[in-house]
Amino acid sequence: MLVVSKEWSESRQTEVSNSHNGFIKKAMVIGGGIAGISASIDLGNGGYEVVLVEKLPSIGGRMLQLSETFPTLDCAQCTLTPKTVETGQHPLIKLLTYSEVDRVEGRAGDFRVKIRRKAAYVDWEKCTGCGLCQQKCPSKNPSEFDRAMGLEKAIYTLSPQAVPNKPVINPNHCRYFQEQKCKVCQKICPVGAIDYEQQDRFVEERVGAIVTAVGFDLIPVKSFGEYGYGEVPDVIDGLAFERLNSASGPTTGEIRRPSDGKIPKEVVFIQCTGSRDPERYMPYCSRVCCMYTGKHARLYKHKVHDGQAYIFYMDIRSTGKGYEEFIQQGMEEEGILYLRGRVSRIFRERDKVIVWGVDTLTGKKVEVSADMVVLATAMIPQKDTKELAGKLGIKADEYGFLTEAQRKLRPVETDIEGIFIAGCAQGPKDIADAVAHANAAASKVQGLFAKH
Amino acid sequence: MKRLGVFICHCGVNIAGTVDVKSVAEKIGKIEDVAHSTDYIYMCSEPGQQIVREAIRDQGLDGVVVACCSPSMHENTFRKAVKSQGMNPYLCEIANIREQCSWVHQKEKEEATRKAEEIIQATLEKVRRNEQLEAIAVAINRRVLVIGGGIAGITASLDLAEGGYEVILLEREAALGGHMAQLSRTFPDLDPAFNGLLSKTLEVEGHPKIQLYCYSELEEVKGYVGNFELVIRKKATSVAGEKCTGCGVCIENCPVEYVSEFERGMGMRKAIDLLYPSSVPNKPVIDREHCRHFIDGTCHRCEEVCPEKAIHFEQEDERILDKVGAIVVATGYDLYPKEQLGEYGYGEIPDVIDGLAFERMLSPDGPTKGKILRPSDRKVPKEMVFIQCVASRDPDRYMPYCSRICCMYTAKHAKIYKEQVPDGQPYIFYMDIRSDCKGYEEFLQKTIEEKGLLYLRGRVSRVFQDDGRVRILGVDTLTGKMVEVAADMVVLATAIVPSHGVKDLAAKLRATVDRHGFLTEAHIKLYPVESSTKGIYLAGCGQSPKDISDTVSQASATASKIQALLSTDKLLQDPLIAFVDEGICSGCGICVEICPYEAREMDPRHGISIVHSALCQGCGACIASCPNNACELRNTSANQVFRILDTFV
Repeated sequence: MLVVSKEWSESRQTEVSNSHNGFIKKAMVIGGGIAGISASIDLGNGGYEVVLVEKLPSIGGRMLQLSETFPTLDCAQCTLTPKTVETGQHPLIKLLTYSEVDRVEGRAGDFRVKIRRKAAYVDWEKCTGCGLCQQKCPSKNPSEFDRAMGLEKAIYTLSPQAVPNKPVINPNHCRYFQEQKCKVCQKICPVGAIDYEQQDRFVEERVGAIVTAVGFDLIPVKSFGEYGYGEVPDVIDGLAFERLNSASGPTTGEIRRPSDGKIPKEVVFIQCTGSRDPERYMPYCSRVCCMYTGKHARLYKHKVHDGQAYIFYMDIRSTGKGYEEFIQQGMEEEGILYLRGRVSRIFRERDKVIVWGVDTLTGKKVEVSADMVVLATAMIPQKDTKELAGKLGIKADEYGFLTEAQRKLRPVETDIEGIFIAGCAQGPKDIADAVAHANAAASKVQGLFAKH
Repeated sequence: MKRLGVFICHCGVNIAGTVDVKSVAEKIGKIEDVAHSTDYIYMCSEPGQQIVREAIRDQGLDGVVVACCSPSMHENTFRKAVKSQGMNPYLCEIANIREQCSWVHQKEKEEATRKAEEIIQATLEKVRRNEQLEAIAVAINRRVLVIGGGIAGITASLDLAEGGYEVILLEREAALGGHMAQLSRTFPDLDPAFNGLLSKTLEVEGHPKIQLYCYSELEEVKGYVGNFELVIRKKATSVAGEKCTGCGVCIENCPVEYVSEFERGMGMRKAIDLLYPSSVPNKPVIDREHCRHFIDGTCHRCEEVCPEKAIHFEQEDERILDKVGAIVVATGYDLYPKEQLGEYGYGEIPDVIDGLAFERMLSPDGPTKGKILRPSDRKVPKEMVFIQCVASRDPDRYMPYCSRICCMYTAKHAKIYKEQVPDGQPYIFYMDIRSDCKGYEEFLQKTIEEKGLLYLRGRVSRVFQDDGRVRILGVDTLTGKMVEVAADMVVLATAIVPSHGVKDLAAKLRATVDRHGFLTEAHIKLYPVESSTKGIYLAGCGQSPKDISDTVSQASATASKIQALLSTDKLLQDPLIAFVDEGICSGCGICVEICPYEAREMDPRHGISIVHSALCQGCGACIASCPNNACELRNTSANQVFRILDTFV
């Protein structure tokens, strides 16, 4: 529900934040996922200038990879694109995508942040986003965005709705960079925007406060030898299943297993892969897996009516509003089979994936001959989070999650005045909680600015 | 003749997978006044919007229909896009061919295609007759009302006040703190709850921007976003706040004692008392239901002993009128009423208590001064049973939802119990263990390992008293066997339910609640702290169960949204509201009565009805009720509606 008029954010164009007694009332948000976007929009709507720094070519973060979201099964892009579009159009938000924080100096009210703007090899000032270069580029490579299940050109945008809608060249995949030949994109570009000579460049931004919202990663799947990940092609992780389910994904939303493109009739989902396992992996709970696995199984059933979904779990954690009801509905109305227990081994037998586990409720061993296995792997911080924490002078815990000033009453503050944290960089959380956390950080920034 | 443009979105395969968008675009393009008709994979993307902008410019369009998803998603996006080309934004309309067409007709592709055409044709009928409108600018009151003085309301108030906005904080009880004031220590770090809370309550009390009304309720609210008019009832405390120094002599001398609700029935309080010791504000209140002066006029003890002459028996409730621009509802929770938990022996067996009662027992200022002593005979319980999910996750009999915090506080309870009674044995009946936030799983595992907690997975079927002990019958679903425990005391982790009175309050505010009474947010992800009524925001457990950390985050989030709302002097509102044809209106006044927003009024001079543009929400009730058809909605005139209907029938 938009609270006021549709034209409302435009009315703020006139309100330019300023500096008062040398205290700069302008904020930087690091990370352009849903947390960073939420914080930026709040600050922009509050009348403050924002610089949003994102390391990928466009904003949206992990949420852009998701298909539908629990517990309403809204399509993720449908809820996200109004936000990315608003961010891109906001008169007070400046986007610095494909950029990384290099160095931070100063203190609250006057941080000087040196930012590396990575070479896109495309002059974004000239580029109109027509997309011809991407169509004509002859180099196709596995797409990280599609969890290696789809192909991406060497010159690419992350999605057709990318904000900003400007491509970048991946020099590792580009024939010109690798073999000094091709140059198709340069020849085809109607505005001469391709620039192979472009170099990384540095810019400095001066801001009064910083919100760190750098998000999460999944634990590298190669870690799970016993689950056959990496060896058995039809063992994939949760984000890969999101891509399979997504209308914009490699199968345009059809659930087809990677090995042979067949529609899997029996799918096993395994929760707590790498979570709650202090001896071998992460001791903590990743918070979102119970819900997204329940969602995966339901989406699978919606698409493959005669399929059977099995879920191995330790405890079912459906604690948010409407979550318990969502899981119960999956069990009762959609016939999803929950098995309480750990899985000991997964291996390939002809074209099947065999799952060995224990059902702790009956005490018996279970064997499922499945067509595909989806692992709900642990959430971990982005690998450079700790390094960024070092640059900012804030703390991170042993896993690399950023540390809040106080667990309960100061959940978005850090030990450094003027530096705040938001979203999964602080610890695993779902979208609703990440958004609330980010809005909270924006509130604290506004409080800080109002005082000066 | 107008020159209209139609832009049909594929929405990836969401629309194009069902509707043949190419053929629709072609067919619509043949309509006489459609100067431009095209399709694109994602019309909301930057290149998509560029198509719209260029067509307006190159084709000289004077009306636009975008056929895509629900207008709640991208109406704003496209109205901005047309405005950038100098077109009046209200000449752009959305034809919803996703939620209302492709998604619901996935198996009927031909019919869906035909329906999409009709929806677009109907929307074209509307656009042909749309007027150019300007947004209505409304002056805004930049103050905020926060209802509820628990940790959510406190946090929201402090954030807003720090942001420079004046806040009125309303609390029903005599002091701030809410349920957090009842807690002993909080998970996962076992910090004393009271210390953290006290620093916040003192900050509120001393904040120059916060006007605190305790022992007060919202009696009436009128108005709309930016301009709410309030009537606050400040209940008579019978103590003159400005004179009282909080010395406590009156409390010591009061001869009346009764069972304290704050202590969950385990302690006593006086007829003149504080809500709890060191409360903020630190001024006592006389409970007139229990005070002898008010019952039979026989006692004036407090009045006699008060050195400041602060006792005012004749004090009356005060009605305070005020105005604010936004309202935060942070009304918190209650625990499930014990009277309705018969099979757990709650209310009958004295040694069966609930989680909050156990918190009071663990609190140094509680009825047992922090010692774990069972209520019946004040013995130290050697075997303790904790039962989780009491009335939660039980759709057939109680609440279907999870109360979110019980797993963690029960583990905390068991841990503190073991620390105090090292030779005691705690048993915990559970369904699933839910320790899903930062540090929670580790807290739980460590506690189980170090303290030897015995977790039993299963429901309890019966709790009864037998020979001075409490017997619990249950099932251990991991072994499949029946379990019987003879315990000295039982703690029930009962379900969190919305605070009493929330439904009435919600009705006053025109906010909605779900079937359990929790306040509903406008959209669980896009607008999680906004209610469905403009200007009314939600924070804390009144919206759904959550722990302190999440409550604090959400309350700050609410404050952030309000700071954005109030950061300008004027609010711009959509002008899609009712208007009156003065030549037809007979002045019957039916619309005045029927308007749910008090936006209609009789103009006594002309004898006709008028519309308050800032109040009108464009709901259409007056239009439907007007016997003379004197009332119409801007850009949804009867003529437009009939033309739209003609398209479909």
